[in-house]
Amino acid sequence: MGSDMEPLLLAWSYFRRRKFQLCADLCTQMLEKSPYDQAAWILKARALTEMVYIDEIDVDQEGIAEMLLDENAIAQVPRPGTSLKLPGSSQTGGPSPAIRPVTQAGRPITGFLRPGTQSGRPGTMEQALRTPRTTYTARPITGSSGRFIRLGTASMLTSPDGPFINLSRLNLTKYSQKPKLAKALFEYIFHHENDIKTALDLAALSTEHSQYKDWWWKVQIGKCYYRLGMYREAEKQFKSALKQQEMVDTFLYLAKVYMALDQPVTALNLFKQGLDKFPGEVTLLCGIARIYEEMNNSSSAAEYYKEVLKQDNTHVEAIACIGSNHFYSDQPEIALRFYRRLLQMGVYNCQLLNNLGLCCFYAQQYDMTLTSFERALSLAENEEETADVWYNVGHVAVGIGDVNLAHQCFRLALVSNNHHAEAYNNLAVLEMRKGHVEQARALLQTAASLAPHMYEPHFNFATISDKIGDLQRSYLAAQKAEAAFPDHVDTQQLIKQLKQHFAML
Amino acid sequence: MADVKIFREVLPKQGQLSVEDVTTMVLCKPKLLPLKSLSLEKLDKMQQAAHDTIRQQQMAEKEKQEKAH
Repeated sequence: MGSDMEPLLLAWSYFRRRKFQLCADLCTQMLEKSPYDQAAWILKARALTEMVYIDEIDVDQEGIAEMLLDENAIAQVPRPGTSLKLPGSSQTGGPSPAIRPVTQAGRPITGFLRPGTQSGRPGTMEQALRTPRTTYTARPITGSSGRFIRLGTASMLTSPDGPFINLSRLNLTKYSQKPKLAKALFEYIFHHENDIKTALDLAALSTEHSQYKDWWWKVQIGKCYYRLGMYREAEKQFKSALKQQEMVDTFLYLAKVYMALDQPVTALNLFKQGLDKFPGEVTLLCGIARIYEEMNNSSSAAEYYKEVLKQDNTHVEAIACIGSNHFYSDQPEIALRFYRRLLQMGVYNCQLLNNLGLCCFYAQQYDMTLTSFERALSLAENEEETADVWYNVGHVAVGIGDVNLAHQCFRLALVSNNHHAEAYNNLAVLEMRKGHVEQARALLQTAASLAPHMYEPHFNFATISDKIGDLQRSYLAAQKAEAAFPDHVDTQQLIKQLKQHFAML
Repeated sequence: MADVKIFREVLPKQGQLSVEDVTTMVLCKPKLLPLKSLSLEKLDKMQQAAHDTIRQQQMAEKEKQEKAH
């Protein structure tokens, strides 16, 4: 039956059913027979694009170079509450690190991971080079050497007779005259080949051809400028596109530019303008919530996430963020309801079952706890996930007072992931209970060197050193703990005590 | 029953209650794992696939070289 079908129709049908590889293969066959078949050519380009297509709004790969040599921020010393770089600066409803764990950048951990959440600007080179704990993907040196290049090379390797379109031999002027072809070609160059400069050339020629009247090309030029790190130029293009035609996407891109320029307040205002034009638009609401979350203002973030859920009650990100917010504000029962909702919606992975297990335990539904964790363990895709689940099982064991089980769980977490600083710290606490001072000290030192942003290992080390009379080390560690968490009362007391001791000498 | 009468509950009605504050060590908190967004999952999958194809090709080349020797 299939062989009788007109090949182009079949290829088109494959494309619509998202069987892109089959579609591309069929188009290749057709192109071998008639190399000038434009329909097959454009369909193949689109299929190849769709295979590696990622929503550009979500893409945010900041490399080490971009982050540390970042000169785009307008104010080097911004006022509190106007920058994303000083996570601790806004004290409006941010959770304390005593309750909610923080990421390396000093932000409370979020309920949802996007490509953009991986960034979180670190302060020093040393911090930047260290792999962030919560994301498990190492940061590339610069954005242009990142994932995108690697994906591009892989796609070239897989096609034995060279790339589908040889970009250097392309006559861009000719294509820019044919707007329909040019758009597909642009997307192919931008997404599949990742050759931003050529894409920009094509877009510039095309927008000229359309006499600067096509907003779509302006947005594409803006996207290219953004990828090339020319934010001010990108801003101009997006603004000009918005004047011609108001689109939700353009608002989102423009807000992304402002985020790159470290101007969250401007981005917020822009989103609110967008909401005037598109009332109740979920992506805009969600954008506002994300900004508030990054600015450590979790109460406002939760408000907007709730607004998102009013419009779209299956929004995974909103449900997950509200859930984690409730969990860390001591309402595990409510968090449980949100995570159960996700399970009902068909999300079924290691992370969700782990969260369900934790919520069940703290909401005193003990029957479900261990089965959830068992499933989470069986669904874990890599060692880091396994380690995190064992770490959490360890907490359950501590909660029911089974110290041996807890000990074993934390050990297992370390077997899976040797860099699990929290597990080292908790193991040290357990060792200390058994009276093994030296082992505890060693474990705490490891934890502190792995995760200098956490206050727990420093504080514990200070406490132990104080007990055994090593006041100098205790004082040093306490100061580090204070730097990580300035409002911790016990640390402040310890420092006060030590200062009194030193004054007496 | 007689024992129970000996140990009677003592609840002082007046006076201050004072407890000495002992610094205890702190545990790190339980960690909710963040869910991954679709595009992040797709990125990871594509990266993994790319990694695998490159590795397969390298293996194939190695085998070829070994056969040639």
